[in-house]
This record gives sequence, structure tokens and C-alpha cells, in this order.
Amino acid sequence: MPNPNKDELAELVLKRITASGAEYGDIRFLDSRTQTINGEDRRIASIQDQQDRGFGIRVLYHGAWGFAASSVLSLEEAPRVAELAIEIAKGSASLAIEKVKLVDEPVHRDRIVTPNRIDPFTVPLEQKTALLLATMESLHRQAGIVRSRASLWARRDQKLFVSTEGSRLEFDLLAVGGNFDATAVHEGRFASRTFNTPYLRMGYELIEEANFLVEAPRLATQAVEKVQAPTIAPGRYDLVLDPEHLSLTMHESCGHPSELDRALGYEANYAGTSFLTTDKRGTFRYGSPHVNLVADNCEPETLAATGYDDDGVACQTWDIVREGIFVGYCTNREVAPNIGEARSRGSNRADSWGSVPIVRIANIGFEPGQATLDELLADVKRGIYIEGHGSYSIDQRRYNFQFGGDAFWLIENGKRTQMVRDVVYHGMTPEFWGSCDGVADRSHRRRYGFITCGKGQPGQSGWMTHPASHARFRNVNVIGGQAGS
Amino acid sequence: MSTTSHKTWPKLTSREEFRFLSELVLKRSTGDHTLVSVQDQHGGTTRFASNQIIQNVDTRRGSLSVTVAFGRRQGTAGTTDFTAGSVQETVARASQIARLSPEDPEYLPPVERQDYVTPPTARAETAAAGPARRLEYANEAIAQCRMEQLGAAGIVSSSMATVGVAASTGLFAYEERTEARFSLTVQAGEATGWGASAHRSIDHLKIYERTITAITKAKRGGEARELPPGRYPVILEPAAVAGLWSQLLWALDAKSYEKGTSALSGKLGQPIVDRRLTLRNLPLREDLLGVGFTTEGLPTVESSWITEGAFTQLSYDRFTAKERGVTTIPTLDAPCLSGAGASLPNLQELIKQTERAILVTNFWYIRTVNPTDLTLTGMTRDGTFLVENGAIVSALKNFRFHESPLQVFNRVEAFTHPVEAITSETGKLLVPAMALRDFNFSSVTRF
Repeated sequence: MPNPNKDELAELVLKRITASGAEYGDIRFLDSRTQTINGEDRRIASIQDQQDRGFGIRVLYHGAWGFAASSVLSLEEAPRVAELAIEIAKGSASLAIEKVKLVDEPVHRDRIVTPNRIDPFTVPLEQKTALLLATMESLHRQAGIVRSRASLWARRDQKLFVSTEGSRLEFDLLAVGGNFDATAVHEGRFASRTFNTPYLRMGYELIEEANFLVEAPRLATQAVEKVQAPTIAPGRYDLVLDPEHLSLTMHESCGHPSELDRALGYEANYAGTSFLTTDKRGTFRYGSPHVNLVADNCEPETLAATGYDDDGVACQTWDIVREGIFVGYCTNREVAPNIGEARSRGSNRADSWGSVPIVRIANIGFEPGQATLDELLADVKRGIYIEGHGSYSIDQRRYNFQFGGDAFWLIENGKRTQMVRDVVYHGMTPEFWGSCDGVADRSHRRRYGFITCGKGQPGQSGWMTHPASHARFRNVNVIGGQAGS
Repeated sequence: MSTTSHKTWPKLTSREEFRFLSELVLKRSTGDHTLVSVQDQHGGTTRFASNQIIQNVDTRRGSLSVTVAFGRRQGTAGTTDFTAGSVQETVARASQIARLSPEDPEYLPPVERQDYVTPPTARAETAAAGPARRLEYANEAIAQCRMEQLGAAGIVSSSMATVGVAASTGLFAYEERTEARFSLTVQAGEATGWGASAHRSIDHLKIYERTITAITKAKRGGEARELPPGRYPVILEPAAVAGLWSQLLWALDAKSYEKGTSALSGKLGQPIVDRRLTLRNLPLREDLLGVGFTTEGLPTVESSWITEGAFTQLSYDRFTAKERGVTTIPTLDAPCLSGAGASLPNLQELIKQTERAILVTNFWYIRTVNPTDLTLTGMTRDGTFLVENGAIVSALKNFRFHESPLQVFNRVEAFTHPVEAITSETGKLLVPAMALRDFNFSSVTRF
């Protein structure tokens, strides 16, 4: 039997929701295809092609939520799931103290398609596996490399969102990413160096333009240099951080605390709350005047730029930190009224048809400054240049953090010199961002992001991009990476 | 909504249905070998914060995965659509991938027919529990907190799954699994307290007991003092012990061991922690979440991984095991850490006999800092206290730590019997609460 028409199912479900007396309801159909190719130590270890198809129904009844979802798309299952969502919402309503009231959003009827030059699912598999095998061979040509990994990933999300308010939104979204790494051993130690493309909403052209085979020899050489490099002496250093590294620092120390649901306590039992409490908005000095952090869910190719979020709210651009002052949150239609805002910022996203949408970090980017990278380095007598992601950890209110990196170089008298290892820096979020005294210009801007941002119970993976140019931070506490330090 | 809802919950894939489905897949596949697996799950979570429900969800998801191999070339395709056309298309997709794949020198055909132990993986009361039961339990925790004028945030979840693995080699495994979870963070102003449980039976979540624990911690957490960073004697509650041990378990991988890229490389057979400590896998224990078989269809087995402090067992993938002549691959689905010799009956006794120590409820955001020596970092969370002369005397601001389990578990002073431990970032283990010397707290945060 062919799958039932989604619009017919949506109409059937939304009629039931309306008839129940609920004030709002929506249905999201999602058909996701994910291809993952993993290489390990010169072999293709796995190729997986997953189709994940289903629908989720949200109901707001007397100010309380219910959600039910199923992977069975049938004329029998859709009403069952709708009735279950209504019943669950009624149960939630029985314990409601403060009723949820959604802020208004215009009705939208639209279709969003990711522009791409090369559909990743049309690229021959042999071409992809050959690229990964050649990359790993190249890595192992470097003496001292003992392990390698290389992978490609592509996802297509075909989604239909229909609400009782009349919105109907269709999506055909792509995302692509790839990476490889090499591990070297030396005198009982080991160290890895990783190359990541950003995850972006593009076609396979992202992988072609990443030039794995050009980058691999450099990465392998640096992995060996890294494992043999001298360890860093703990102390105070000026840091110059590259855009990829900054994407994680921003994500953890600015992105998460700017989620309004966290500030309101929704994540108190898991991901945590936020030191950026609502009383701080508009007055709290988060960083130096060089620090401008802007949420932009409209920039093409970025992960959160999906046209509309899973509330059916149009994507927007707004300030999180302006000249060092904390000014804005990521919100959805439910929590926006808590800070007196009349419209959601459109940051409500679910990671699958089976998950309920929650507030997620937007594409928060670090606005470029005026300097060149050379100028940032030139004014450092004794510092460290950090590339990429390493170890990271932060307290549940996002104050006390520490970050490692993927590669580290000493900066001596204005020049990047030798590699060092075991660099971990530690700080308190506002003091750290307060120590920023220079940001590189737009020509240095790069876009990195995440598809594994954990939040929610049950856990969900959020997707967002964090563009940045290089930036300099003064007198940061580098604690080294050994036990007991 | 009554707690004994009359709703008919969707029927999950039965043993007979999985046999039919797997035979259909195997018949359709032209591969030299084919592996088919199903996970059909139905469950839900009631989530609350600030004493009211913020999410209340229920999801049914069935997943079918097919791996087809031609010689050493293999491909895997999956779907959530169990209709005949989709199953056929999934087999074709896996076959097409396999034909286009390069040969994998480490490829092994699926395992052959196995005999399985039958752990108590499913409980009828959990399978029957729906949103009404979850709401009832959430309300119980919220009501306790409201009475104390405290804020409750947490979850109650329950799920039922049927899981099957079959292959062209004659392999056939099937079982039902249920799981229920409860966790609660109680907020008293700036202070928080936490408690959690997980069990195959929703009847064993100990909602009242865990709620009182979290309330007590939150109420004790006010006016937290700040102690300077440094090395302190500590009492780690079971969740904190489990957090550190979970990181150690991930370092047991045999391939990394052999390549020299594990913190444990070269240490097999050698003492790595206090000689009183033994880590075993106990899949038949009712208070753990053991399973009958792995995703590859390998039977889970009782085994010893760290024996009287010595590292005795590596975690093998099938290829490395074959290369090394390992015929039975040990699993680690139900870990239990226990101490030999004199152990104390419970945490309260451990506190009573302590002159001065920092009591840690839980760790948060534990990450590896240095994989070579397994130095970890993380934060204390939801209840950090100063113990003096056998009693808790004040709350403390939370610390960041830097420690390697390979060092700190050689500084064991005392321990309790193993008890259930659940953390937000790991699964469930049985571990003791422990008193340890010279634990390295490297900085303090602001709350």
C-alpha cells in the first residue's frame, strides 16, 4: 500500500486537535537520509545509509504541552498518535501552574531548499571511499604515524510542518561534513592532529574544495611534531585563537548561557542553568568592547539557517553581546514572553521527528574587527597560538571553563615559532572575554559548527554554526595538561 | 487520566514477527552473508522544571538495519519503515553499497548461532506503564518539593523495546528490554541537590527515597563556603565514582592498546588501581541493565576486567580477538566495582568515620585532558560539602578537578558495599562510595 498523502494526514490530525479544545497543535513529518562512511587505519571500516522516517505531533492544551510521535505512517497510526498527544497534554495541564501562551507569529506558507552544486547522494560511492583511502595512505606515509581515521557524512532532511494556525512549511535541506586525523607515538606518548571541514548546508562541493589530499601531509607532519614538542610551562600567556578553536569557546561560554530556557531553569536537571540570568540583560558586561556576538540564522549555508524553526518562526538576526554588553537570548514562542519579547527569535529546533523542539543555540558568530592575523601576533611577546578543538569542560552555569586545542605554537616576540604540547587554558567566562583586545578582520572569518550539541531529556543533538575571525586574549591562565597540575 | 490507562499501546515486533522479517530479508539478499537487526521501541519521558511539566513526550520508533557482504565488501542500510516495499529497498540499498565498497581486510562474516544467557531484561510493569504512570511519579516528586517550598526539575521515563539480531550464518537472537529512569534536581535558591535511579522495573525507581535525598542536599546547600583549590581528602558518592570509572572503561580497547594509543598500553596483567578493587561484568544482576547479546549477536558473559587491582581484560573487537586467538569476547554491559576486605555498609557510615573531607555528590562534564596518562577534568555538581568529625558541617562552592583514575584509585582509604550509580553522562554501574586521599581540586567556581 502506498504511503498516505502527508497533507491528508496533517488535515486529519489537526482537525482532531482543534476538536479537542486545544489552543494549538502542529505536525512535523520528517524523512531523513544519512550517509556515513568511516575509514580507520587505511581501511573503510563501515558504510551506512540510514533512512529515518516518521512524524511528531505537538498539542498545547489549556496551557500545557503534549507530544507523541511514531515511525509508522498510516491512516490508523496518525489518529492514535494525535489522541495520545492530546491525552498527554491534558495530563500536563492537570499539573500546570503557569500556563504556556505562545507569542504570535505570522502564518507562513513556504518551501525551503538548500542550494547546492553537487548533491552528495549522487556522488559515486567509489569516489568517496577512494578519497578516504588515499587520505589515510597519505597520512601513513609520514614516519611515526600509527593510526588514522577519515570520514565523510551527508544528510538530507525532507520535512513538512503544518500547524493549526495555518502555517505550511516544506523543507528539502542538505548538510555535509568530513574530517580526518592522524595519531603519532613517541617515547610512550601519543598525540593526534585533526582536520575538519565545517559542517555546512551545502553540497559535496564542500568536500571537493577542502582538498583532503593537499592537507593530509601537513596534518601528518604536524601530528609527529606535536607528539615530540616540548610541554608548555604553566603560567600566564597571551593567546591568539583561530576561528575553529573559537567556535567551541563561543559555543560553550556564550551559546549555551544565552539559551533562555536554561536561564529559566528548564535544563536544571541536565544541561544546566545559566549565569546570564534575565536581570543581566542590557547591563551585564560579558566581555571587552571588542566583543560583538551576533546570532544570525539567515546566513546562507550555516546549519541553523533553515528558513524557519520547528515553531514555524522565520529565521532572524539579532545581537547576543554588543560591544561587550549582554543584550539578547535565543528564544522560542513559549519562553520569549518571559523577557517581555513579543516575538520568538526562531531558535526552537528538534533533532528528529521523534523529538520535541527545544530552544537551541543560534548561529552565534564573533563579529570581525580591523586587524590582520599578523598584527594580532605582532603585539605578543610571549604567547600561544591555538588551532582547532581539544579537551573542553565547563560548569553547569557556564562560568568556570577550560579548553585545550588541537595544535599549539609558541608566539615569541611577535612571531609564531615552535610547536608545544599539553596546552590547556582555564578561566571564568566574563573575565576571559573581557581580556579580548583584538579581533581579525573579515578576510580571516571562517565558519565552523556542531551537529552533536547535547541538550534535553531525552537527549537531542543540536546543529549550529559559529563563524569567527582570529582573536587575541591577554594574560590567560595556562595550566598545562598533566595530572596534578 | 487514570494511572491504569485503558489505552492499547502499539504492539512491538514479536519474536515470531522478527523471525518472519529476518527470513524475508535473508531470502531477498543475494549477498554471501547478511546480518539483519531490529530495534522496535516505544517509550516516553515526562520532564518537569520549576515544579511543573515542561515536556511530556511519547515516541514509537522501529528501526531495521541490514548489512550485506560480498566477499570482504560490505554495506549497511537502515530504515524505520517496515513495509514490504521498504524492506526490499533496504536490502537492495545495502547490497548496492556492498558491491561498490572496497574490500575490508578486517571483515568477518556474522557470528554463527550462539547460546545465550537470559538476563532479566524485561518487566511487565514497565511495559504497561504509560504517560499516566510517568505523570504520577513526576507529581510525587514535585509535590514533595512544593511542600518544602523548593523547586523540582527532573524526568520520569519508561520504555519497552524488542531487539533482534539474525544472520545468514544461522544466528538468531531476540529479547524484550524495558527500562525506567528517574532523576531530580532540587533547587533551593542557589543551592541544588540531586538524586537519580534507573531500573528495568518502574516499580524500583525509589521516587520517594531519591526525592528526599535531593531535598536534603538542597536544603543543606545554602550559604556555601569557598575553600581554596588544593589537594583534599574526599568522599565520592557512588555517582561520582561511576563518572570517573566510566572514563577508565573506555580506555580498555584492545586495538588502541596494541597500537600504543591507550593510557593502559603495556599495563596488561599489572596493578593499575588499589589491589582491593575488582571490576566484573555481571549481566544477570537484576539491579544492573545487562542484556543477553550485543548488536553483533555475541552473547554477553560474566567476566572480570580488573582483578584485585590488576588490569586483566581488554575490550576486543571481533577482528582483533580473532588475531589474538580470543574465542570468547568478554562484554561490559553490566559493570560492578567492588572492594575486598572490610567495607562499610553505607555512605552515612563512611561519613561518620571521617575526620575531615570534601563530600562530592556528582561530577559534571568529565573530559579527558591528557589521554596518555588519562588525566581527566570536570566539575563537582549538585551537592558539595565539607565533612568534619563525622558530620557534614557546611556546603562548599563547586570545584574543578584534575585527576587520573589511574592515580586517584591508588589512594583509596575506605569504601562501602557497591550500590546503584547513575549519572547523566554514563549508564548504570554498581560501585561503592569511596574515601580517597589527596584529590586534586584545581579551581573553584562561583556557586
